[in-house]
Amino acid sequence: MAEPVIRIEDLTYRYRGQREPALDGVSLEVAEGEFVVVMGHSGAGKSTLCVSLNGLIPHFFRGRMGGEVRIRGRSTREGRVGEFAREVGLVFQDFEAQLFSTNVALEVAFGPENFAVEHDEMVRRVKEVLGQVRLEGFENRQPATLSGGQKQRLAIASVLAIEPRILCLDEPTTDLDPIGKMGVFEIAEELEEREDVTLVIVEHETEETLDADRIVVLRDGKIAADRPAREVLRDVELLEESRVMPLPVARFFKERGIAIEERPLTPQEGLEEFKRRGWRVDAERHQKLVAADEAREKDYGEPLIEVENLTHRYPNGVVALEDVDLTVHQGEFLAIVGQNGSGKTTLVKHFNGLLEPTEGSVRVGGVETVKQGIRRLGERVGYVFQNPDHQIFSDTVADEVSFGPRIRGLGETEIEERVKEALAAVGLEGREEEDPFGMTKGERQRVAVASVLAVRPEVLILDEPTTGLDYAEQQRMMELVRRLNESGSTIIIVTHAMWVVAEYAHRAVVIKDGRVALSGTVREVFSHEEELRDLALRPPHIVSFGNALGYPVVSVEEMLQITGEG
Amino acid sequence: MDPSLYLDRNTWVHRLDPRTKMLLLIATFVLAFVFLNPVYELVILALVVFFGYLAKVLSNLRRIRFILIVIAIFTIIIWFIFGGGNLGGVIYGISIAIRIDITIIAGMIFLSTTRNEEVAIGLVRLGIPYRFGFAVSTALRLVPTIASTGLTIGQAQRSRGLDLDSGNLIERIRKYVPLLVPVFVSTIRSTNVFSMALESKGFGASPKRTFYLQPTISWRDGVVLAVLVALLVAAFVLRAIGFGG
Repeated sequence: MAEPVIRIEDLTYRYRGQREPALDGVSLEVAEGEFVVVMGHSGAGKSTLCVSLNGLIPHFFRGRMGGEVRIRGRSTREGRVGEFAREVGLVFQDFEAQLFSTNVALEVAFGPENFAVEHDEMVRRVKEVLGQVRLEGFENRQPATLSGGQKQRLAIASVLAIEPRILCLDEPTTDLDPIGKMGVFEIAEELEEREDVTLVIVEHETEETLDADRIVVLRDGKIAADRPAREVLRDVELLEESRVMPLPVARFFKERGIAIEERPLTPQEGLEEFKRRGWRVDAERHQKLVAADEAREKDYGEPLIEVENLTHRYPNGVVALEDVDLTVHQGEFLAIVGQNGSGKTTLVKHFNGLLEPTEGSVRVGGVETVKQGIRRLGERVGYVFQNPDHQIFSDTVADEVSFGPRIRGLGETEIEERVKEALAAVGLEGREEEDPFGMTKGERQRVAVASVLAVRPEVLILDEPTTGLDYAEQQRMMELVRRLNESGSTIIIVTHAMWVVAEYAHRAVVIKDGRVALSGTVREVFSHEEELRDLALRPPHIVSFGNALGYPVVSVEEMLQITGEG
Repeated sequence: MDPSLYLDRNTWVHRLDPRTKMLLLIATFVLAFVFLNPVYELVILALVVFFGYLAKVLSNLRRIRFILIVIAIFTIIIWFIFGGGNLGGVIYGISIAIRIDITIIAGMIFLSTTRNEEVAIGLVRLGIPYRFGFAVSTALRLVPTIASTGLTIGQAQRSRGLDLDSGNLIERIRKYVPLLVPVFVSTIRSTNVFSMALESKGFGASPKRTFYLQPTISWRDGVVLAVLVALLVAAFVLRAIGFGG
């Protein structure tokens, strides 16, 4: 067999100041032209593995490295990062921070410039890679004006222009809407077909990993599995233990007691297997689910937020929202979905007064938001921003959480009580004195939620509450939100994560180009698969599976409930 | 919000060699400081603004008009108070105010017509090492980026009840802590990724470096430089013969 392009031998790495190693005895070989997906929970060592491929470890980071990483036979210890950059292209998770040029062409040319590529060749490469990532015609655009998906594709192009033989993408789709994700996967598929390009992708969306040659699962810095993709994906038990989201169809068959080797993976395969086994859907039980949806809707309280003919125009003239009508009742759990730039966030920023309507009206509790002001509205409508690091500023969790109550002049005992209550709600009780900056992203996210809860708002708006969290953290976060909803809070989430919408929300509103395109119970909205596709949205596998059987469901649990023997 | 100051317009000003534009900027500073006479300063201001008009970048001045006005008013008031409270003080203040505004406006026009990358190339062509040129252009880029992060953070904290507009001076300064800490932390975090991305794209990998942009000196640069020299000479001659003191 030919020499593998990547050979990792017993790699151990411990960052300075950390007690536990980030990677612990990892050995891995990747052959030329392979497509390897790396999965694992937060802190499993995925990003550490990426940065060890081009020598950032050991040269850039401080820490202790054991073992060896060889790229085409050459140890990363022996050369500088710049030398390995020619072999290994690395695209980081945070694509915003790696774009720094004033236009797209210059961004792409930066790498070749560093390697003193001749001007004519540089021009050719810029044209070629922009074609590859479908950004031709964008040469003169400023990177900041691109959509998330375009930015990510540009980040990939800027690395491709160096013509590396190995491309490593660290969670390339985390922050992207479904269309943006698709764009990135299309590029990956094309690269995969090229035999001279080796692809290593860290991915948390299990539904997107089906095409990989191999999946490497990392758990606590060690390799938990390194097998052909379909084999790993069938092993629901392994993925669950590794805190990685299993494929819902495979999980359904696992829960039905089907052995690992016989489990189907996709909705289509699932449908065939379902029929082959002669299983049936119990229509009566499905009817009960639909009836439960209706009953829940009747239980909602008064209208809390009323949006009428809302139009919002930004100062530069761009119309972000046009003629939107929407009513949110007390006790609802509403998901707002749609592409980046469709106007979702602009819409919810009207609910707490951050934005004012250009035309039309937004009323909260029967009173126009314009008459209430952000500060007063903030007591009724809490808003958790996407990035917890955009709001955390205190040395201790308690200080952070008490910011809202304190600024509103509450007494010390009252404040203390509220902090306690809010921390208990997010599962951080007893950690008042910890430094939030030392916590994991999932924990910081919960601190941010607690700091909004401490004001005891009636409505809680969460913008992308699961972004950047692993499966276990996402579940934990959403269970928390569900509990808050069950104890009376009205919840509005803005999200790209369709499985979160399906499994947790009651109602979904799809926004397209500033207008409401679809609205209804989650079950209804997701049953319109064709229309969703036109809106560039795709329901989760389990929903498609149910739809294909003619019985819309929102979760594996529901599917299990309605399945009976033939 | 668009965080960048550069306005991609296809004018002859934009096509000038970055070195010419740097010289223009320095020369404008010199002109503004040669003497202090309100009429003279107004003429220079008019020239600078006219230049900005030719470059079609006056829209960027609208973004900073608030700062320009505040600085002008403050300067005039301060000189009025400390200049003895008479007309002479006011006139002096007006001159200083125009002078300060000229430097800001000229800087703004420079940044609106010159890409960060061109600044770096210009410096390299002036014999300055690329690393230094790149550092300068990165610093220029960082300011608007921080401003746009600050905007998001401001919204997040206002949603939590932060009110920056009330209280006395010390209270107000203290209120900026919830804004500044996250801005600082986010900037550090993204700078870290930025430097890793630089290394991963081979920054400094090869001692030689090529450039995608190839600014060239044309007859226009010659004309601009000639006009510039003429203006400088005229200003110094005026000064030498004692005009305006």
